Amino acid sequence: MTFSMKRVRAILQKDYKDVSRNMYITTTLILPLILAAFFGRIGGNTIDVHYLIINMALILVATYVQSALVAEEKEKNTLRGLMLSPASIFEIFCGKSLLSFIASTVIIILSALLTDYHPKNLLVIIIAIFLSSVFYLGLGTFIGLLTKSVMEASVAIMPAFVIFAFGSLITPLMDQYPILTIANYMPNLQLIELAKQVEAGAGLADVLSHLAIIFVWIIAMYAVCLYVYKKRMVDE
Amino acid sequence: MSVLTINELERYTENVLVFPAFHIEIACHEVVALYSSMNVRNALLAMLTGKLPISSGEIKVNELSFANNRKGFLSRIGLLLLQDGSYERLTVKENFSFFKQLYGSSLSIDEAVRIVKLDLKANKRLTKLSLSEKRRVQFARLLFQDPALYIFEEPDQNVDLETKLVFHKMVHTLGESGKAILVLTGNMETALSVTSRVYRLDEKGLKAFDVQDTEEEPKLVSPEDADKKEEPVLSNTDSVEELENDEPIVQHVRFEKIPTRMNDKIILFNPPEIDYIESSEGQTNLYIKGEMYPTSFKINELEERLQTYGFFRCHRSYIVNLQKVREVITFTRNSYSLVLDDHLKTNVPLSKTKMAELKEMIGLK
Repeated sequence: MTFSMKRVRAILQKDYKDVSRNMYITTTLILPLILAAFFGRIGGNTIDVHYLIINMALILVATYVQSALVAEEKEKNTLRGLMLSPASIFEIFCGKSLLSFIASTVIIILSALLTDYHPKNLLVIIIAIFLSSVFYLGLGTFIGLLTKSVMEASVAIMPAFVIFAFGSLITPLMDQYPILTIANYMPNLQLIELAKQVEAGAGLADVLSHLAIIFVWIIAMYAVCLYVYKKRMVDE
Repeated sequence: MSVLTINELERYTENVLVFPAFHIEIACHEVVALYSSMNVRNALLAMLTGKLPISSGEIKVNELSFANNRKGFLSRIGLLLLQDGSYERLTVKENFSFFKQLYGSSLSIDEAVRIVKLDLKANKRLTKLSLSEKRRVQFARLLFQDPALYIFEEPDQNVDLETKLVFHKMVHTLGESGKAILVLTGNMETALSVTSRVYRLDEKGLKAFDVQDTEEEPKLVSPEDADKKEEPVLSNTDSVEELENDEPIVQHVRFEKIPTRMNDKIILFNPPEIDYIESSEGQTNLYIKGEMYPTSFKINELEERLQTYGFFRCHRSYIVNLQKVREVITFTRNSYSLVLDDHLKTNVPLSKTKMAELKEMIGLK
């Protein structure tokens, strides 16, 4: 079984055309941009504001688009056809993730331009956001596998949206309730922490611990995805 | 060289036997129709796609089975399932180009559009297409896949005439080009219109229908074909041809099967298969498992022929197979009804005069 880029590209193209005509999804893509434009004009240019937008873009684009793509295949009874085709499971999910990944990258770059965010060390930030994107794609795949239709996926994404987009609002409470310091290990807070250190002049070596934690999240997320996939596909 | 081999495959669910162990082989160039109920069909398809584990027996495609070579097995099967979905936001051509890339096919998109007659709709999104046209898009998917074995589930259910024609033409061309084709259907007409190799699969096992084309094939003039034609074909269907001929022929063999007409084919039924016979408005129909088959015989002729098989004229316009009668219901003193033990629990009327005769037959006083 060879990995065929051609098939991945076929799935990517097909999903791109499909999504571009799907009003549900295209409207959610615009939301982070509107917010970014709004905050950019107000001029609240703190790291927290930048990353509120970036985390929101990640969850709304990477996770939501990915979950909708996976759930829609199930809803329309087309996933079975794909699974019986020569495309391997890995290729199917590659093609889908690639589209969500490209979309979220574009949206994040645009939002960063709108909010006037210029990190001091661009390379480190790019690596961090790339790793975060991979985690959020995994989360999207997971939600897509759990749900049976795009509507269900839209509802299921809500808790994730609240946790990951507004997770940073929990920080003031940490002094009061020490138990909440666990939340510091969440990938979204790790990303903000990392960005703050970069602004303070840290290099790649200084933020390795943060990247490692995000990486552990990625491993865990994909392990769960694989487990759910195996379990689900036997049932269906 | 058989493409599909199903060997001693059987299926039980809880206490119900779905189908007992049966054996079937489909070679290339062959078109076979399996006439079966929905749960039999679903069980069989689930086994083919690996959803159901195969507890006993085996399914092999080109000597590969699902268990030992999943990819190879699946790549040789082209499935058209009844509930297959399609990408409705894409146009017909976009769908086709996706299939083409996915299966790495050499078939050109325009060619596929032409084969399934979607020229006028090629740039329309699937949401704008009718159900029949969407089914044709699915047909094209299989053409791009180009497997060794095609399996169609209810291919022409609820579709228009054009789609049926496209389907028949496609099956014909594929058969010619050396593919093996299996059609699973619960509709006798579909099965008969596609092929003359029709089997019934149910809890009693696999049973071949005796089908014969009544259309005389035009004699081909090529010498080798002429040679073939001259070889006498000996089969138990010869006598049907004799019935077709106008000249009076002395029948040496006592012919026992009852011929029925379906479209332009003749199906022969063994008397024990028949549940009951009904005559209405001068047309006599055989009922077999709830399906109706018209026959050209008069009910009186049939009574005569079937007397020896334990058939009984229970009413002026009914003959019943006594083997299949489960109970005799008395509604009032002079109206009776027979209940058969088929799955529909069919009621057949029993007239008062015949009741006495029946009592005598079964030894009731």
